[in-house]
Amino acid sequence: MAGAARYLDPAIVARLGTIDLKARTIVEGFLTGLHRSPYKGFSVEFAEYRQYLPGDDLATLDWKVFARSDKHFVKKYEEDTNLTCHLLIDVSRSMGYASGPISKLQYASFLTGALAYLMHRQRDAFGLIAFDDGISTMLPASARAGHLRTVLHALEKLETGAGTNVAKPLNDLAAAIRKRGMVVLVSDLLDDPASVLDGLKHFRYRGTDVIVFHIVDPYELKFPFEHAARFRDMETDEEVMALPGAVRDDYLHAMQHRIEHYRRELRLAGIDYCLLETSQPLELGLMSYLMTRRKVL
Amino acid sequence: MPSFLSPLFLVGAIAAAVPILLHLFHRKTEVVIDFPAVSLLKRVPVQQHRRRQLRELILLALRVVALVLLALSFARPYFPGAAAPASLPVTVIAVDTSLSLTAPGQFDRVRDAVARAVSAVPASHAISLISFSDAATVVVAPTSDRAAVTSSVEALAPGAGGTRFRTALARASEVIGTRAGRVVIVTDLQQSGWDANDDGGLPDGVDVEVLAIAPPAGNLAVTSAERRDRRIAASVQNYGTLEVKTPVRLLIAGQELARVDVTIAPLGAADVELAAPLPASGTAEVRVDDPAGYQADNGRAVALDPAPSARVGIVVTDPTGAIGGLYLERALAVAASGREFDIDVRDGREAGNWTRAEVSQMAAMFVLGTRSLERGGRDLIRTYLNEGGQVLLAAGPDVDMGTLGEVVGTRVAFDADPVRMPGATLIASDARHPIFRPFLSPSGALGDVQVEQHRRLTDQDGRVVLARFTGGDAALTEQAVGKGRLLIFTSDLDNQWSRFPLSPSFVPFAVETARYLASGSLDPGGAADRTSAGESNPAATSVAEFTNAIERTSRTAEQGHAIEARELEKQQNWWQVGVVMMLIALAVEALVGRRAT
Repeated sequence: MAGAARYLDPAIVARLGTIDLKARTIVEGFLTGLHRSPYKGFSVEFAEYRQYLPGDDLATLDWKVFARSDKHFVKKYEEDTNLTCHLLIDVSRSMGYASGPISKLQYASFLTGALAYLMHRQRDAFGLIAFDDGISTMLPASARAGHLRTVLHALEKLETGAGTNVAKPLNDLAAAIRKRGMVVLVSDLLDDPASVLDGLKHFRYRGTDVIVFHIVDPYELKFPFEHAARFRDMETDEEVMALPGAVRDDYLHAMQHRIEHYRRELRLAGIDYCLLETSQPLELGLMSYLMTRRKVL
Repeated sequence: MPSFLSPLFLVGAIAAAVPILLHLFHRKTEVVIDFPAVSLLKRVPVQQHRRRQLRELILLALRVVALVLLALSFARPYFPGAAAPASLPVTVIAVDTSLSLTAPGQFDRVRDAVARAVSAVPASHAISLISFSDAATVVVAPTSDRAAVTSSVEALAPGAGGTRFRTALARASEVIGTRAGRVVIVTDLQQSGWDANDDGGLPDGVDVEVLAIAPPAGNLAVTSAERRDRRIAASVQNYGTLEVKTPVRLLIAGQELARVDVTIAPLGAADVELAAPLPASGTAEVRVDDPAGYQADNGRAVALDPAPSARVGIVVTDPTGAIGGLYLERALAVAASGREFDIDVRDGREAGNWTRAEVSQMAAMFVLGTRSLERGGRDLIRTYLNEGGQVLLAAGPDVDMGTLGEVVGTRVAFDADPVRMPGATLIASDARHPIFRPFLSPSGALGDVQVEQHRRLTDQDGRVVLARFTGGDAALTEQAVGKGRLLIFTSDLDNQWSRFPLSPSFVPFAVETARYLASGSLDPGGAADRTSAGESNPAATSVAEFTNAIERTSRTAEQGHAIEARELEKQQNWWQVGVVMMLIALAVEALVGRRAT
């Protein structure tokens, strides 16, 4: 890893200062350019006239053109916000797990911050929703200049909460979103898979594109423990005594089964799924986002 | 309740506390790990944990059991209660089955005497039957079954063995053990029964009853017979108090080939030469007619085959001149006109060139000098001796004391300097020993042997002194080394420290020594002849003399209990059970422990 790219290593990013610096560092050198949106919306920059059609907002009617030509035209402006993206970050207690230098929540924060920074550079509107078993932080989507700082500040202040309930905030948000856009879910998905999938499919029914970043710790994938221990659930405090050697195969099988289940069901639902280990470079997440955004646009 | 022979070892059971303490104080604190995906861990491990706890307890129990069993085994447990049947008084009937009971009708009287003894045994006594001659055998272990004893007596028969009273008494003593008991000895009270140099007696308090079987009035015995070219030379002994006239016959395959009538004075002997055309091989028998005496000594077999020459090696320091084993070589060459021994004289360096096969074929080896022996030669002689070889070492001036241990493979300690004692002569400790048999007659006496210097042996461990010098120092000793036999002559045989090689006694001494070695047995035929010769003599002791000759051993109550305890423990052998159980516990512990990890 050389040059700016080495700052995509989460362990190195974790040692940087504020989250906005982290986000900027992650995105630096990664971006290759922005595409201008073919969508036309309401903006301060005029684009063209179009003949009025029934159903158009009368507020967009250009009365001056009507006075001169006695024809109804509406003004079209180039939208400076091409995409509205909602960043959903899971702050349940299980996200606080860290076998290495950074926890899943830190990794998720870096990724979310980098995405926000990227969206800001692309002049996309973005909002932030942090949730555990309910919504704990919610910043509506916006493309204002100061919004990035607000989002990054909120990310920096995130702390782990209670248990995971992905379905509820997803359903709440799906009901609240009026406009097509994108939803980015960053979570360890340690919830009932059926509930999670139902919530995510809710977005798809409303035409919203969804990308899911499944954050896992390497120890969750490998279960490298050696000695008998009492394993305590970080969300429910339930304890299980286990001999790692005796349960490793079953555990790994269950974990792989769950990942494959998510991957398959989300693909069938048209949702992008990206599994990220907290030891992996963050560029994987950014790349997945850009691929999805390209599809959207 | 069990008792213990060595109860102090039970203190070792405290060691069983060690694994318990380790279990209690060194248990690992369970590690608690916060983990997000606990829901994916199966619940089965909980059961495994319980199983593991159970396994740990089993392991702990097995370790404790193993240590306790070890301590118990070392404490030698036994159950005194089991001794009750064995504590019954016992009557041991010892029956003489030696050659001296082979006179006609003699053993029938023995059986009658045993039957009387059996019927006289008190009802409260167990009864045991022992037969004895050279060895004593328990024919019937202590039992209350009188019929078993009676029927066993019927099966007994006298043999050709000698009489050994002490051996019989020792065996009876073992059978009686710590119990009350009495011994009934059925014997002819032959005097020679006390001759053997063995050990044995009876504990205090054990009554002895002697049922004497009268010996015959006289006995004739063929005491020796050997082929001399075309003749058989035999000796016949008259052990009776009357003059006897008897034919001496030479028989081959039952056919009489020669006969000589001899008259033998009371307690005298006659040498007889039986001339006849003898075949080159086979066996002949010399017989006398003695219908009233012992039957087993009336005949003696003679091997007619010429004995193959025995290969004899002589190791010297220098084979040239007078110190080269010349006298010994010439003396051995006399035997059977040079046909009896095949002599190979070598100095130390050449001795190392003997192959192992050559050495293993040697009937005997004389080591007169070791100074020129190299390591290979020393190893060769030591190996030969250890593997059953017969060696005579003449510890003269040519023997290097520094390397002597390497040559003979055992420690031989001499004084640093030789003893100068001009005029010392040889005295045989046992004139009947085969080596000294030729010197029994006055003409062959050893008195003319003059030895000026000899080495003084400083330890006698494991050695039998066959002859001494007049000063008392050992002159000729015999000992076992490995499977072989080592004779040590403490002077030289090369005319340096003595004029022995120049004396008339030297040739018979050398030849008989070579023959004795070549016979290859630590219990040589001569000894057996000696026993048989004594056994042919019907001279008997009185009952009183016999009873007085019995050595008594003390047996206090405490000693009795200790002996009884030892006997019981030996019979029960619970310590072996303990050790086996301990090993099983350790094996199971290893198995369970392995599965646990």
